[in-house]
Amino acid sequence: MSPRRIPIAALLAALPTLVGVGYAAGAATGLIGFGAAGFSLRRVASVLGELTVWRGVAWTLTTAAAATLLATAGAVLVATVFRGTARGDRAARALAVLPLVVPHLVAAAVFVFLFGQSGFLARAIHAAGVADAQGVVPTLVYDPLGIGFILALAWKELPFLSLLAFSVLSTRGPELEETARSLGADRRDVFRRVTWPILWRGLLPGVVAVFAFVAGSYEAAILLAPSEPVALPLLTWERYTDPDLARRADAFVLVLVGIGLAAIAVAVHEWARARWERFEG
Amino acid sequence: MTPPVWRGVLLVLLASAAAGPLALLVVTSVAGRWLYPSLLPEHLTLESWALLLGRGRLASAAATSLAAAAGTSALAVMLGLPLGRALARLGGWRRWIGAAAAFLPVAAPPIALATGLQLSLLSLGLGGTVPGVILAHAVPALGYVTLFFLGVFHVLDPRIEDEARSLGASRIQTWVRVLGPLLRRPIAEALALGFLVSWAQVPLTLLVGGGIVRTLPVEVLGFVRAGQDRYAATGALLLVIPATLAIGLAGSARRAEAPPL
Repeated sequence: MSPRRIPIAALLAALPTLVGVGYAAGAATGLIGFGAAGFSLRRVASVLGELTVWRGVAWTLTTAAAATLLATAGAVLVATVFRGTARGDRAARALAVLPLVVPHLVAAAVFVFLFGQSGFLARAIHAAGVADAQGVVPTLVYDPLGIGFILALAWKELPFLSLLAFSVLSTRGPELEETARSLGADRRDVFRRVTWPILWRGLLPGVVAVFAFVAGSYEAAILLAPSEPVALPLLTWERYTDPDLARRADAFVLVLVGIGLAAIAVAVHEWARARWERFEG
Repeated sequence: MTPPVWRGVLLVLLASAAAGPLALLVVTSVAGRWLYPSLLPEHLTLESWALLLGRGRLASAAATSLAAAAGTSALAVMLGLPLGRALARLGGWRRWIGAAAAFLPVAAPPIALATGLQLSLLSLGLGGTVPGVILAHAVPALGYVTLFFLGVFHVLDPRIEDEARSLGASRIQTWVRVLGPLLRRPIAEALALGFLVSWAQVPLTLLVGGGIVRTLPVEVLGFVRAGQDRYAATGALLLVIPATLAIGLAGSARRAEAPPL
């Protein structure tokens, strides 16, 4: 393959996304699409001036951060506690990875069955002798804080991050830890100065990817997110399918916001990965 | 070392987190009448599973999903293999840009991809058709598969290829006799990856399929929202099958290749 053709390959991979971004940029500024009337930034300014939009963005970012943090903490815990070769360790690692097979939509559906008003949790509490179980179960689905959403996605992403943590620790851990121990480090020092730095550097690209997935998730949001504030993916959908055609172009401003956030995540991801590859090299 | 008690507690928690939700799906999929606040269904039925064998919505949705996922994975591997190979041969910032470009459709919110794609596919007359849905699914799938092959070719020594060429193999012979056998497993894994990306896809199908292409996830989403839990749970369990198979097969292939020491 000649070196000249190579950058074309990179471009080709990104082409559909770039076309989409280009279209969104054009539609958001009145150049093409619904209600195009010449270039103007009025729509961008008005959409970005809406409180609803910023509340949606804030909701999406905070719930995504919470779910990612929870899944990461779980993965670190499982990977550090169950590192050995005993049967229990291997069983724990297998169990942690098991829900990997579950698609996001299924994870969200399960949490509806579990946390809904007449879900399994409410039934179990009732069976335990609490008469007003439905009143006792705080609303975990459609709640403004997004607790059901956060838990569902943390559960869904835990296997992926656990798998990553296992592989990071098993490839890079033992040798360096042994060295640290032979140099006189005690167990706490080894964790603080060797295990943890390896773990977070190795996990970081995966953590960034998980954050981006959670923030962009449509199916989990539609089943579990509240109607107020409206999560960014749902708001984008709402505007895009608005019966008022004039409002549909609003969606493209939101698409640009979503892609912009994803682009930041991609940049951080590539930076973290390059750093890890150098470290691992 | 963590005290054994905590290890035990953690192990139990992991077991219930892994098995509990799946058990709930199984019970829901066979639950007949199950009014609140009964802890367990009043009677069980295989009605939703029997419908699958017949001509119900779930059965046709599963067939549509299979077709879309098979098409997507073939397309993604055909394009992603050469792309990943080309990217792996790049050095420095070029590879960085290339990997970022491949990662963008993976990280971008599917709904953001869907809007632009819907309009372009509509103008091609592919809106509301399975080929249109396949092309749309191929966008994120291609990102995943390209990154996968980037990793594969990053490890694969390019000198193997050069050596074959210098020994007189033609380009085609190099592919068929040298790279083909080396890449058999990665290709199978990439096909599975592309399949799974399409299999789980929701917003791209909804927008590009325009409600006409009804894949399994689209039906499951509809059933959950309509409160038809039994059908939703049955469909959800079907959605779990391919990934389970893929991981099981990959695991047994690895064990067959490298017996545990």
